[in-house]
Amino acid sequence: MNRFGILTCLTFLVLSHYSSANAADDLKIVVILDNSGSMNEYMPGGQTKIVAAKQALLTVLDQVPAGSEVGVLLLNDGPKGPWLIPLGPIDRDSVGPAVNSLSANGGTPLGATMKKAADELLKLRERQRYGTYKLLIVSDGEAGDSYLVDQYLPEIQARGLLIDVIGVAMNKQHSLATRTSTYRTADDPASLEKAISAVVLGESSTDSSDNTGQSDFELLEPFPAELAAASLTALTSPANKPIETGSMPANEDTAHNYPSHSGRQSNQPPANQDNGGGGGWSKMPILLLAFVFIVIRVLVGIAKRK
Amino acid sequence: MKRLTLLVVAMAGLFMASQASAQQLFSGITGPLQVQPVQKSNTVQVPFITWGGDAATFYANGGLDTKPDSIYGKMGLKFKLTPGDDFVQQVKDYMNGKSPYLRGTFRMLGQASEVIGTDPRTKPVVVLQLSWSAGDHIVARPGFKTLNDLKGKDKKIKIACQQGGPHVGLLFDALAAAQLTNKDVEVVFVDDLTGPNGAAEKFRTDESIDACCVITPDMIGLTGGIDTEGTGAEGTVKGAHVLVSTQNMSRSIADVYAVRKDWYDAHKEEVEKFVAGYLKASAEVRKMRDDFEKTQRMSPQYKQLLTMCQQIFGEEVIPTLEVDAHGLLLDCGFVNLPGQIAFFQQSGNLSGFDAKLTAALDLATNWGYAKTRKGFDPPNFSYRDIAKLSELEYVEPQKIVKGEGITQFPGDDLDSDTIVSFTISFEPNQTDFSVDRYGAEFDRALQSASTFGGAAVVIRGHSDPTKTLVQLIKAGLEKGIIRRTGQQGNYRYFINTQGGTKEMDLSQTKDMVQLIQSGAFEGKADSPLQTMQAALNLSQARAEQVKDAIIKYAEQKGVNVNLSQLQPLGAGISDPVISKPTNMAEAKQNMRVEFRIVKVNPEELSDSDFNF
Repeated sequence: MNRFGILTCLTFLVLSHYSSANAADDLKIVVILDNSGSMNEYMPGGQTKIVAAKQALLTVLDQVPAGSEVGVLLLNDGPKGPWLIPLGPIDRDSVGPAVNSLSANGGTPLGATMKKAADELLKLRERQRYGTYKLLIVSDGEAGDSYLVDQYLPEIQARGLLIDVIGVAMNKQHSLATRTSTYRTADDPASLEKAISAVVLGESSTDSSDNTGQSDFELLEPFPAELAAASLTALTSPANKPIETGSMPANEDTAHNYPSHSGRQSNQPPANQDNGGGGGWSKMPILLLAFVFIVIRVLVGIAKRK
Repeated sequence: MKRLTLLVVAMAGLFMASQASAQQLFSGITGPLQVQPVQKSNTVQVPFITWGGDAATFYANGGLDTKPDSIYGKMGLKFKLTPGDDFVQQVKDYMNGKSPYLRGTFRMLGQASEVIGTDPRTKPVVVLQLSWSAGDHIVARPGFKTLNDLKGKDKKIKIACQQGGPHVGLLFDALAAAQLTNKDVEVVFVDDLTGPNGAAEKFRTDESIDACCVITPDMIGLTGGIDTEGTGAEGTVKGAHVLVSTQNMSRSIADVYAVRKDWYDAHKEEVEKFVAGYLKASAEVRKMRDDFEKTQRMSPQYKQLLTMCQQIFGEEVIPTLEVDAHGLLLDCGFVNLPGQIAFFQQSGNLSGFDAKLTAALDLATNWGYAKTRKGFDPPNFSYRDIAKLSELEYVEPQKIVKGEGITQFPGDDLDSDTIVSFTISFEPNQTDFSVDRYGAEFDRALQSASTFGGAAVVIRGHSDPTKTLVQLIKAGLEKGIIRRTGQQGNYRYFINTQGGTKEMDLSQTKDMVQLIQSGAFEGKADSPLQTMQAALNLSQARAEQVKDAIIKYAEQKGVNVNLSQLQPLGAGISDPVISKPTNMAEAKQNMRVEFRIVKVNPEELSDSDFNF
């Protein structure tokens, strides 16, 4: 790696290293905690998942650096509604009673809860541009409303919010594992606490080293400068408007034509085929219309001959 | 609003045929003067000029001649206030003993410094700062966005300015803020402050003039208002706009009274009473003015004062009480008792007596009004005694004014409201902004904050976008949005739209932007948005570090600073100098902290006790 490679690595380490001294680095995070009925099951280590989650939360929230803002949002309403801990600076006196009141019972409406969490973070980002805005999903199963997860996930990511997932004692990877910033597994209470700590207390999880030995400038060289400038403008103006409901995102076609947004993982770039990218019309309605038109013409022709 | 007729007569006689010609020494204008002792009389002659600050002198005196029940009358003083807009005549009267007092701006005294400061008897003791001006402006044609633009690329920028008047100092400060001097521009001197031979008319009739220094009525006449551009209708000049105003550059023009040294030594108590009476009067005048501004109900006392001003200055100068007379007072930032202490006695005041004296003598010698530097003295008053005399509470001025910065600036407004800017660079990952390396820039930032007391100093951090763009390409490759062919060092990229057969070029901008906005590049470890946000955070952190370093530096030097003026902002990668750096040297150009002096509503700043 050349000197610049090393410098940029260093830069990235500085970027991703959480420092409570800088308000700009402060983490704004909503922990989406699965409190569905299945969280009453036991983990290896002799505790239920919900008890392990409660202990982990208490330990981690006690260490949250000043300047961070944390909220805990439940999949199923608790005694005080969906927010176990409202998003904001941590009030240490109220954390204990709130977490201890937690119980597990109900379904897994992850999609709807992701939207609620994202909207709250976007509201906060409207007021404070700086900081790192994250959703941390702690769950032991797939969403009951996976169609909403599929709808909201690209929108949340398009607004520049990061999503980290912890799969709690799951037999297989959570389906979000390949579609979010990081995925961690926690098969016992200790690893659950460690996984939550890693996200909430801001340890770097990004491997920025470049194993190919190529410099950033080599990689960028073929990228037209004007296109780079337009890309920067687009990147630096993510919207803070709430996540859309009902309708698909404006560029749903574009976003969803890439495998990562359809829930499937592909390591192969598509061949030179028309993906219908760039927000074009879906061909299916047009084909249907053409089919109906041909059928009517045929029927009319038959009727005329009769 | 109006320094109408100020120096008009004087400078007309003074600087005839002065257009862009070599500067005449002030001593050449006055001719040889004999120093005479101050004439003995029961009544002391005190000059006044056409300015809102002088309304408080009338109020203290009860009119042109001291009334027994006035503030000065009750103090046992007896003055005759005489018109002093003819500054050359004022200097002559001062030298020949007709009046021991001089009334002008600090810089006007500076221009006369060699004449009045050579003989120890007439060496001026500056005893009172009446006010800071908020009613003088530089108006420019389209294309001039900030003071930095006064440095022309192909030719010298032409600026019309009245010779010898208050605007010479305004121009000096405006150029200094952009680190320019009169040699970097072409100053086109005009005879009068306003009217047919003033700078505004010159600007209106001569299209080669790029900018002009004007008073408020002329500024409104040219532009339509402080925040608007001229349309070309009703006498305005199309595209003319305010480049800088003393509303923001609020510590540029200091109006003062000076007294001959021999008189000061012999009549110190009387001079103290003169100052104390003025301060008592100005506190009352300011309250009347502010009450009327707030309630729009004019008290009988205020009406009486404005009527007095109208009678003294003349109805042609002040046609109406509510607009013109009141406006004259609104343009005046009265300096209160803590302000006197700050100006004359605080060593760390970058807009105080010592700093203003240096600037005045720099102007006098560099612009050709004087050959030698002959300074003035500050008064050696006890301001506790002055407070007792004026029946005002004694309050020490603050050195460091605590306060949060202005709320965030929207991007568009930041650009359009920037008055002047400068930049410091840094190394990748640099977090230490040492005084050894950046002392000069910190000095400039602190000086700017002081001179531009009615503006914010935005400290804007920037980051290099290389890493974010690399993440964009990597994420695109990983997710199949971008296809790459060729070998290392000879890559070609294709966006997988239009069949993916077209190599990346400008025509795919719309597709690329849509893909970014739809989040197509997100959801992997290589996240361009994550890196962008991290760069934004880093730039904000860096701006905050620079602000902290400046505050620490100010404290170490004992320099006054109003913290509410300092506003750190992170721009992240949104405004790179080079969008796509091709090497480290280019990337480093993006790694910078920019200082911008930005117009704000001065009321947003915590300066009630600081701006004095």
